[in-house]
Amino acid sequence: MVNTRTPTGAPRNALALLGSLTGAALVGALYSRSQPTVAHSPTKTPVPDFAKANLAARRLNRAAGTLALSVLFDSALEHYRGQFRNRAMYTPLVTAAMALGVSAHGTMDQRQMPHVVRDTVYVLTAIAGLAGTGFHLFNVRRKAGGVSWQNLFYGAPVGAPMAIGLSGLLGYLSERVRETPSGQTPMVWGLPAGRVVGIASGLGMAGTTGEAGLLHFRGGFHDPFMYLPVTMPPVTALVLGRTALGPAGTERRATRWWLRATAILGLSGSAFHAIGVGRDMGGWRNWEQNILNGPPIPAPPAFTGLALAGLAALSLLENHPDD
Amino acid sequence: MTERNRYPGYDVMAKRHSLSWNDATRKVMDARLGVPREPRFLRQMEWDTLVAICERIIPQPQNRPPIPLAAYIDQKLQNDARNGFRNAALPPQREAWKKGLAAFEAEACLRYEHSFHNLKERQQDELLHRAETGQSDASVWSGMDASLFFSEHVMSDIIAAYYAHPTSWNEIGFGGPAGPRGYVRMQNGRRDPWEPVEAGPGDETRVRRENQRVR
Amino acid sequence: MSDDPLITPRAARGRAPDVFHPGAWVPMKEYPQREPVDFVVIGTGAGGGPLIARLAEYGYSVIGFDAGPYFRPLEDFASDEASQSQLFWTDERLVDGANPLKMGANNSGRAVGGSTVHYAMVSLRFRPEWFRSRTLLGYGTDWPLDWREMWRYYAQAEHDLSIAGPVSYPWGPKRPRYPYRAHEINGAAEVLARGAEAMGYKWAETPLATVSAPRGDSPSCVYRGFCRVGCSTNAKQSQLVTYIPRALAAGAEIRDLAMVGRIEVDAAGRACGVHYHRNGAWHFQAARNVIVAGYAIETPRLLLNSATDRFRDGLANSSGLVGRYLMTQSNQAVYGVMDEMVRWNKGPPSLTITEHWNYDDRKDFHGGYCWMAQGPLPVEWSAAMSGSRKLWGAPLREKMADYNHQVGLKMVGEMLPHPDNRVSLANEKDRYGLPVARVTYSWHDNDKAMIQHALGEMQRSLELVGAKDIWRQENDTNHLAGTARMGNDRKSSVVNADCRSWDIPNLWICDGSVFPTTGGVNPSLTITAIALRTADRIQMLQQTGQLNF
Repeated sequence: MVNTRTPTGAPRNALALLGSLTGAALVGALYSRSQPTVAHSPTKTPVPDFAKANLAARRLNRAAGTLALSVLFDSALEHYRGQFRNRAMYTPLVTAAMALGVSAHGTMDQRQMPHVVRDTVYVLTAIAGLAGTGFHLFNVRRKAGGVSWQNLFYGAPVGAPMAIGLSGLLGYLSERVRETPSGQTPMVWGLPAGRVVGIASGLGMAGTTGEAGLLHFRGGFHDPFMYLPVTMPPVTALVLGRTALGPAGTERRATRWWLRATAILGLSGSAFHAIGVGRDMGGWRNWEQNILNGPPIPAPPAFTGLALAGLAALSLLENHPDD
Repeated sequence: MTERNRYPGYDVMAKRHSLSWNDATRKVMDARLGVPREPRFLRQMEWDTLVAICERIIPQPQNRPPIPLAAYIDQKLQNDARNGFRNAALPPQREAWKKGLAAFEAEACLRYEHSFHNLKERQQDELLHRAETGQSDASVWSGMDASLFFSEHVMSDIIAAYYAHPTSWNEIGFGGPAGPRGYVRMQNGRRDPWEPVEAGPGDETRVRRENQRVR
Repeated sequence: MSDDPLITPRAARGRAPDVFHPGAWVPMKEYPQREPVDFVVIGTGAGGGPLIARLAEYGYSVIGFDAGPYFRPLEDFASDEASQSQLFWTDERLVDGANPLKMGANNSGRAVGGSTVHYAMVSLRFRPEWFRSRTLLGYGTDWPLDWREMWRYYAQAEHDLSIAGPVSYPWGPKRPRYPYRAHEINGAAEVLARGAEAMGYKWAETPLATVSAPRGDSPSCVYRGFCRVGCSTNAKQSQLVTYIPRALAAGAEIRDLAMVGRIEVDAAGRACGVHYHRNGAWHFQAARNVIVAGYAIETPRLLLNSATDRFRDGLANSSGLVGRYLMTQSNQAVYGVMDEMVRWNKGPPSLTITEHWNYDDRKDFHGGYCWMAQGPLPVEWSAAMSGSRKLWGAPLREKMADYNHQVGLKMVGEMLPHPDNRVSLANEKDRYGLPVARVTYSWHDNDKAMIQHALGEMQRSLELVGAKDIWRQENDTNHLAGTARMGNDRKSSVVNADCRSWDIPNLWICDGSVFPTTGGVNPSLTITAIALRTADRIQMLQQTGQLNF
């Protein structure tokens, strides 16, 4: 029987296989009883120490780096599609590449001191993200129809530059955590860093969900898996928000698992998108077209980056009770 | 005849082995480029007249091999490939073309005492123009409406043959066959790397280089 | 045996082509010729396709006949205008009248899937008032159908064809969201949008039957722009890749390269089968019901060619209206040249639309029209430049060189029904020995007034966006309708609201020829909606005992 609703042949098999793999990984993440990364005393008086703050800072670098990696490739593709008509279109490539570099450096750096280059790059990156959002908004408003579905779908994506902004922000927070003197709770802008990171990554998660939702709506949610990134991450955002505003110093095993599952979702999203590219006309042979017109392969790991940031926030909150 | 080449260096045939062409496309284009250059349906006299008419309907530049327009008309008649409709005032296309070509030849002899294909371009244009505007000598057209024949066959068949040929696509910068690879950049002023670049005054060399990379 | 689909039928020996995979097949049920099937459907296009599928899904035995070949687009379709004329009905038809129609590419398909294999995929709903245009708007004639019922069937058709359309459509009563999102608009379509905005008119992305995201084995549209000569990727949701596969799966048989020449009527005056030409010989297929879905030329031609002693003027023709009230749609255009590169051939040709003058009644003529962006391929474009602009010689080649800068707006306008615009039989015979159709058409004053109005509006729109070298294509027409109109009584119509002929109770007509008026939008979605309704009505009539077979 010819099935006109669902794909047949290789794409169906690939989707089914990846779907089950993702499902298994998610279930694994949710039920893993592997060692809780944090050992803490039930008396709620853990001793904040330098190593833990440094670990949290490096995790934030890792999160910022993951986001930067996603943005680097995504903006490279999208701006190549836009033929770099405006010199400013190179900005996210440069800033994301620098953010990626300093994040790699930070991830490996076990010293307690912030690094002036890292710090500067992260601040610049955050500013570039804000500026990019402005550019994209201007671009959308300028087109026929103004702020319309057509231009939100196909014009410059309004939400995308915020991803690099978030990378900068997370990196900046990482430096603040890193410079915390031993024995003190890391603070940013007068607030406990764990809470700030938690709120920031929760909001980022919500924004990225909005972006994925918009683009998956554009795709008509033609595949059931397309509902995953608009259902799981909002829960992640809520959980992160609750954690960031709730009591610190308690172990939140379920939250940790949920964040890990979200991180896996971001990675398998890229695999789903790769299958989607192969499903387009001409498949991977026609990569010149389908990489650009098909689902964006580098985009989904933004969720991974934010989930990693959430995990860092969780560690900070678990290790540094501030109340 | 010299004319500005707006897409210097662009050859749509360079895309033949790219994903812009599929097997079906390669097959029909091979057949098109391999059209027999000798008349199979028309007699020599008719063929000579037709060749001359084609050269006036679409004058082609000297600096490239011409598109063999008359061959396509002869092929169309040989296969009796029709358009799907026929003005009731015209006979079927084979008869119409034979009558029409004979009429142009007869009118040339009547007016200029030469065969149509031996006339000067200006004289040929004059006869074509008379047919187009219905001022032809009705006696040589043996009842066929010259103006209708001109629009329904002379113009439409010859011009369709010209713009079905890849050489004409180079001239107008048409991307040519596109499948399975289609297009990505839809906005004004945007170009996919497999589309030709148009030369402005003075940047012909640069554009030629770019167009030679179009695959 | 030849694998050329134009020479040897492919749907045979228990299998039919799998349109989604090169060289592949799907199983097909076959019915013996001598035993009557429940339904024979003649034509597999926008009317026939849904009927075959729905009737088969209701459990009836159905055979769909098509005179054309059964293509697998992935392997059979080239990216080429000239050779893809294999999709058009190129058998001769005589045209006359004051404004003889052009036929073929623009309105007549010959393939399994009919004209939907090469249509521009524009899938629009009628304005509700058009179903009662005589009563509400003072022209034409009322339909026997209620727009609210049609609204339901439009939604079903849009769902089945995965129409990609705007999130909210700016004209007419509320409709459900289109199943797929609108496509990205190209430069030529943006010109329409800017012009409409400058004039204060609303515009929208045109709802199109080509998917903007994968659907089953159809990949999303790659914006080749060869839509009107067949989609070689299957993104286009033609009958060939939607209802026909459904029909096969539900147990229908398709007979390709099968030209029906005559409907047989028994002594009781009921249709009892069809004579058809296939594999070089004439055959007879017995049937309990015959549904004609050959569109506005071939449908009346077949009915007229099936005349008997009892029905001397042709079948279903006691009203004398078979072949009359032929309508086309005005398809005039205004073109201009932009400074920047547009490359209007990229993407589907009609990505944006304004239906402003379908819904605004402040005008001094009857009927409505819309206009859409354009993107013709070189041969079609050169035909406009030569046929309408009358260019040849050096001036033609010079103007053709502006191809990539060209933009255009093209109307689809409602021509009013007139009894003298008609299809009749000529003396000439075709390759099957059947008399060919003579198509007589003349524009009337209202048609001309609308065309002038539209040309003026479109020209103003192009001027407002800064187009240069503007010219008007004054002579084009496209879609067809009428010739077997539906109505409320047997004197003034050929079929009733159920597409059932008044004269012969088991003879049905279901395609664009039943339109009493043609509206100012492309007709295919309305034809499909009517076909879906007819299938439901047949099922209802059968269940309530009003169909005895």
